[in-house]
Amino acid sequence: MVTEFETKLLGFMMMIIMLGMGASLTWRDFLIAFRRPKGVIIGLVCQYGIMPALGFALAQVLGLPPAIAVGLILMGCMPGGTTSNIFTYFSKAVLALSIMMTSASTLVALGMVPATLAFYSGLAGYEGDYTIPAANVAQVLVVLLVPTIIGMVLRKVNPNVGATLELFGGIMGIAVILFLVVTWIPRNHQLLLDTPLNVYLGAIGLGLVGMALGYALARLLKQDPNRSRTIALETGIQNGPLAILIVTISISGPRQQDVLLIPVLYSLFIVISSSIVTVFFRRASEREALARDRAKVGVVASFGATAPGP
Amino acid sequence: MIDTDISTPHDAPWRAAYNKAGIAPELNPPTHASLAALVHEACSRYAQSAPKQAAFTCVVPNGMNGSLRFAEVDALSDAFAGYLRGVLGLQAGDRVAVQLPNCLAYPVVAFGVFKAGCVLVNTNPLYTEKEMAHQLKDAGAQALVIIDMFADKLPAVLQATGLKHVVLADVTAFFPAVPRAVVRSVQKVWSRVLPPITVPHVRLAPALKRGAATLSQTPARRYWEGVGPGDLAALQYTGGTTGVSKGAMLTHSNLLHNVNQMLAMGATHMSQGQECVLTALPLYHIFAFTANLLGFLVIGARNVLVPSPRPVQNLQRAIENNPITWMTGVNTLYNGLLNEEWFLAYPPKQLKASIAGGTALHQAVAERWRQVTQTPIAEGYGLTETSPVVSFNPLSGTPRNSSIGIPAPGTHVRLVNDAGDLVATDEPGEIHVKGPQVMQGYWGQAEETAKVLQDGWLATGDIAVMDREGFLRIVDRKKDMVLVSGFNVYPNEVEDAIAQMPSVLEVAVIGIPDDTTGEAVRAYVVPNPDHAGDVSAEEVVAHCKKQLTAYKVPRQVIVRDELPKSPIGKVLRKELRAEALAELGAPRS
Repeated sequence: MVTEFETKLLGFMMMIIMLGMGASLTWRDFLIAFRRPKGVIIGLVCQYGIMPALGFALAQVLGLPPAIAVGLILMGCMPGGTTSNIFTYFSKAVLALSIMMTSASTLVALGMVPATLAFYSGLAGYEGDYTIPAANVAQVLVVLLVPTIIGMVLRKVNPNVGATLELFGGIMGIAVILFLVVTWIPRNHQLLLDTPLNVYLGAIGLGLVGMALGYALARLLKQDPNRSRTIALETGIQNGPLAILIVTISISGPRQQDVLLIPVLYSLFIVISSSIVTVFFRRASEREALARDRAKVGVVASFGATAPGP
Repeated sequence: MIDTDISTPHDAPWRAAYNKAGIAPELNPPTHASLAALVHEACSRYAQSAPKQAAFTCVVPNGMNGSLRFAEVDALSDAFAGYLRGVLGLQAGDRVAVQLPNCLAYPVVAFGVFKAGCVLVNTNPLYTEKEMAHQLKDAGAQALVIIDMFADKLPAVLQATGLKHVVLADVTAFFPAVPRAVVRSVQKVWSRVLPPITVPHVRLAPALKRGAATLSQTPARRYWEGVGPGDLAALQYTGGTTGVSKGAMLTHSNLLHNVNQMLAMGATHMSQGQECVLTALPLYHIFAFTANLLGFLVIGARNVLVPSPRPVQNLQRAIENNPITWMTGVNTLYNGLLNEEWFLAYPPKQLKASIAGGTALHQAVAERWRQVTQTPIAEGYGLTETSPVVSFNPLSGTPRNSSIGIPAPGTHVRLVNDAGDLVATDEPGEIHVKGPQVMQGYWGQAEETAKVLQDGWLATGDIAVMDREGFLRIVDRKKDMVLVSGFNVYPNEVEDAIAQMPSVLEVAVIGIPDDTTGEAVRAYVVPNPDHAGDVSAEEVVAHCKKQLTAYKVPRQVIVRDELPKSPIGKVLRKELRAEALAELGAPRS
């Protein structure tokens, strides 16, 4: 269902995306993030604590068959997607935090994705045909680290080139989704019609429930509403194209179609659900900004007349 | 006007301080007759000695940048002079309003205006239509160079002023093609900050082309050769505290002298051709205009222009990607940087010194800056009316907190009480300034001029004390003083005390009417978001009680998210007072 050529093209687009992500960063940004790691740690907890567990839980609750469930769990184990940065920008949330969280989760993906994937697959009792070999996942991630590092180097050498790549990477993130819409849907519309409701619920629910949980955790840990919205978007938005790439490389034959179903549906629907959430988040950000402007007088405390001293 | 006395008074108590700090006590007279000659000579000299070095680099928040070399600045500003005189037919002395944020177009246009022998009218790009119309009409501007982002104000302004010539510039002017295209499309499609333009105009690039074409007939030099030190160089508008915006008339001599005064004070920490200065303050403001644009050009520095320093995050790439050796700023900017993680983790390694002006530099900020950057920061003092430098702290030696330093070489300073008598050492009095940097008066406002300028002495409206060694300390603006039961409370002192609290990001103090004490002190505090836990009014009061005499302790403390600020980041107490009065419903004269 995905041709050899499309897999290669997808891989190439992924490279551009990662090149752009690398170009959005400097080593300093990383070192700074780890000096005061609270935001990044919350992000990592959301990314590799909440999301894989959520993928697993949804698969169980919705009673998805193993072939499809494994796609949902894989989706849950993915690092943050670069499109989250674009939605964060439009939401008027904290862009720097979003970039940092995406990058941090991508960098630790090498260890965390195979580990969480193996753990939850094991927990669900999937074996043999329906597992995605950890080595494959690690391999893809290593290959993608190369453009990320090249992006960082380019950024340092020439900021003009770096910033341009950053922008192209972001655009490519959307382009991949459009590419899927154009190539995949027409060929598989029958499949989409035959897909039962619980699969849709899983694909859409992962993003939306993930955002809700991310927001709740951030608020619980005393992050302000704006940072919490950033963390929510970051948690809910996973790297869909990466999951698709991993599946197409790891699994072949008719099973590929089943495993691929959730990652593809997720990638399509996350754009829609993020856009809707962004509208609300943006309103909330604007409302708060306005409230700040209007709050000419905040907490007024009056004290009894202090007698002038000498 | 030209033969102003530029000697440092013999009995000046600050002469010894000059010696101690390695500052030449006598001011070098300007070496050029006009700013045009100065700019041209500096540009050609550095174009020879450092042909590849960038003179100006503009960095936008995502790190994209463009640069102009000295030779390019010289040639392009010649072309702009050619456009003004040769194409538009302007005459020497005609006023040209320039309404640009920091960008590469700024030096080209401003130097072009000087080379054309015209008068520069710096205009704040954020002005409303009404403010623009007032200023352009008052100055009698013949042409306007404006940033395209704000061109939506033009129809109303042109109608109100009858102004004919409009040149449009943009922030990415002279950037390489790709980053320029990227930033422009982001501005247009994404941030939608480029309004449609409905009035007749010409873009900067074609204007320069047409101007350059006229130079073969009339070289630009022809336009500035006749300009002398006593000619008007700039009308620098100042809101003043009285409300009406007035244009301070600054001559070429005023600015040339002040450049030398600024350089004399900084010389110990400057090397010709070796500096890279961060220009985050807007160039349309007199501080950055004289210090950064002119002063650092003279010493062949590279000037890193940041179009907008707000949010402070915007400075990150400019600081990371350029070897910044010098900074100019205001209290809020330094404080802002000290609250940025990226700055604290990697303060600029090559930094040599920083100067602060515009408003009082809080002691807590100054100390922290020295500790974080391991370099000196010196507070200076000046006014639009004095081009602007009046006094500066020497950069070498033990820093003196909360002092605005000693008068710059060639400056006479006296402190006067309400009766007009000189006050004794350590007694507060209004600062009066006389020197080659003092303006000629307010444009078309003889009455206003007479109020502040008598026998060459400029009354500043600032109250200060001078110690035995000639160091001045501002106690406050005359107008900002709070009178609590007959006792003077200077808001600066209270602000300084509160600013020491780590939970406080910013603070402003004003006086409000009070039935029992006449006036009472009210403090506005902005909590520091990086500090665990909120700041409470009770804590602020408890802290002040430890630091200040009882009558100076704020009666009211108001916690809010932001303070009203001027374009360069001065906290506007005036606005807070207006708000407070409206809120209390008590009219007060």
